[in-house]
Amino acid sequence: MLEAQNLSKTYSGTPALHPLSLKIEPGEVYCLLGANGAGKTTTINLFLNFIEPTSGTALVNGLDVVQQPLESKRRLAYIPEQVMLYRNLTGLENLEYFTALGSTETFSKGQLLAFLDEAGLPAGAAEKRVSTYSKGMRQKVGIAIASAKGAKALLLDEPTSGLDPKASNEFSALLKRLSDGGAAILMATHDLFRAKETGTRVGIMKHGRMMAELRTEEFGHADLERVYLEHMHD
Amino acid sequence: MLFNIIRNDWRNLRADRSLWIIGALLAVLIGYGVHNGGAWVRFQQDTLTQAAEEEAGRLTLIKTSIESANAGRANPPSWRDPRNPFAVGNTQAAHYVSMPPAPLAALAVGQSDLLPYYFKLSLKSRDTLLGNDEIENPVHLLSGRFDLAFVIIYLFPLLVLALSYNLISSEKEDGTLAMTLSQPVRLGTLAWGKAGFRALFILALSTLISLAGTLASGVNLSAAGASPRFLLWVAVVAAYGAFWFAAAVAVNALGRSSATNAIALAGLWLGFVLLIPALLNVTVKALHPVPSRVELIQAMRVASDDITRQRSQLMAKYLEDHPEFAAATDDSMAQYAIRTAAILDELDRRVQPVLATFDEQLTLQQAMVDRYRFLSPAILVQSALYDLAGTNLYRYRHFLHLTEQFHAAWRTHFEPLIARNVRLTPAHINSLPRFHFQEEPFQAVFTRTTAALAGLGLSALLAAALSAWWLRRYPVAA
Repeated sequence: MLEAQNLSKTYSGTPALHPLSLKIEPGEVYCLLGANGAGKTTTINLFLNFIEPTSGTALVNGLDVVQQPLESKRRLAYIPEQVMLYRNLTGLENLEYFTALGSTETFSKGQLLAFLDEAGLPAGAAEKRVSTYSKGMRQKVGIAIASAKGAKALLLDEPTSGLDPKASNEFSALLKRLSDGGAAILMATHDLFRAKETGTRVGIMKHGRMMAELRTEEFGHADLERVYLEHMHD
Repeated sequence: MLFNIIRNDWRNLRADRSLWIIGALLAVLIGYGVHNGGAWVRFQQDTLTQAAEEEAGRLTLIKTSIESANAGRANPPSWRDPRNPFAVGNTQAAHYVSMPPAPLAALAVGQSDLLPYYFKLSLKSRDTLLGNDEIENPVHLLSGRFDLAFVIIYLFPLLVLALSYNLISSEKEDGTLAMTLSQPVRLGTLAWGKAGFRALFILALSTLISLAGTLASGVNLSAAGASPRFLLWVAVVAAYGAFWFAAAVAVNALGRSSATNAIALAGLWLGFVLLIPALLNVTVKALHPVPSRVELIQAMRVASDDITRQRSQLMAKYLEDHPEFAAATDDSMAQYAIRTAAILDELDRRVQPVLATFDEQLTLQQAMVDRYRFLSPAILVQSALYDLAGTNLYRYRHFLHLTEQFHAAWRTHFEPLIARNVRLTPAHINSLPRFHFQEEPFQAVFTRTTAALAGLGLSALLAAALSAWWLRRYPVAA
């Protein structure tokens, strides 16, 4: 579960995020929409405790991320726009490292390979250096890291931008599986189509303010685009 | 947690090959440095052996000459007569007093290539003991040989910085920092884990290579005092490495780019290793200048002229002070000897103030360096390493002190022989005073070195504290 309570961030007098309250239950996929600079990444960074909130609190499974940074991160997985891994190590070695850092469990090599396989990494790629991977392959390693960790909450920052439609579709399927497994997912994205397909709720942000929240099941794709564009007009 | 960070760092470094390149470079530099130091020590030892051989040959020759003169086969003039104690004590049996290289001398040439390590000593005045013309040249004190100490003071920090300047910044630039910190890991754990592992690697490697090189260059670690000195040496290098790693973490903690870090750290290196030592050197020389060599020579010339003019008064006064010589005044050679002794005595007395100023100023210089060496870890390391290798001013002054004592003993030995106009026999030659160098007590070296070590440790802790402070405010995002 992810929860923001009056969460805000101001950079030397300029608000990047106006007080935001938000609750994402297990199994929900919440898509944050908005132009660049709307405050989507700021929200995610606040949940990651990468930046300190000016006011309010961010909770992961009920744990305050500022007060209990390590405990909250144990329940959290993060997939940025570019899953950046150690280039000179193999996908397997990367997974092994991040899993060892994040999980209390220790996995055998076979189990780790299974995670990569489930995430859709082509057979044989696991033991190749990451520097030879495509972006889609790296995102899959990111998914494998998240599922190995058994994360209760996922933070995704434009994870599908730059992926081809097929890779993007595969990614959505993986996301769906994690969500069905009971994870609360917060995803910042520009992809309205993807938001409608995978999201259970969408929030439209502008200039650091939440403008509207919609349930995707209540809208058609065209409606979503119309509402979004309406909010984007100044 | 720490184990995982270290294992991952190890895998990355191994795959990156930078560790191997730096390790190999370190091995080559250390090997070359130790080789150079070893060559210099062997040269000194060879020189001392040759001197000892020359002296032994000379003494044998004196003994055979005494025998042939006694047998009437030769009739040398009295000033060259091997039975004349003045001729023997003043020239023929001149004794080499020497300071053999200390056990670890091969590791740091230090100032041992500027300062004399042996003197040919006789009844002549003490001023010839001073090789002071070198002491005035500031370039000598700045430049050093390419020895292990040079590698450690100047190059070792650069290797450390090459391995640590982008410790965190590269992870930030590559995007792996965000991935890592989205796991339950503190930034501090990551930074110290990586720095600690790399430090351990470099220190283990350099200790191992130094040990191998030390043994290969012929250093005998089982010699008296050698192993505690070597252990202190390792401790000093470790503390110096720790300082530079901590400095690198501190600069990284400011959250700038790798390129900025590299420039900042290069600036720190320049300041601590080159600028501060050079400034201190210049300041010390300006505040406590030693009198020039010309001044000393001038004082001696004036004194010499004076003495020649007042020869007869001097003689009278000298005989008053040394009534035992009065009996010998009828012998012309004995008269000459006594007159010379009187002149030497007076010359010593006249030149003494200038010599004392020399010594005083050197002491002040040393005291000032000792006080301000805490300004730069590089100066601390240099003073400690030269001290442990026994190639600094301290051991040299200890040697000078012993030499002066011996010189006095030599004179005391010969004066009664001259006064009584004794004719020397081979037995006299066999029982001449011999000089044996005695090491400065280890306690003194230990005290000075541990003070430097404490200073280094403090600098490292200070840098680490700054790092910890800055790491807490590290901008992970943006």
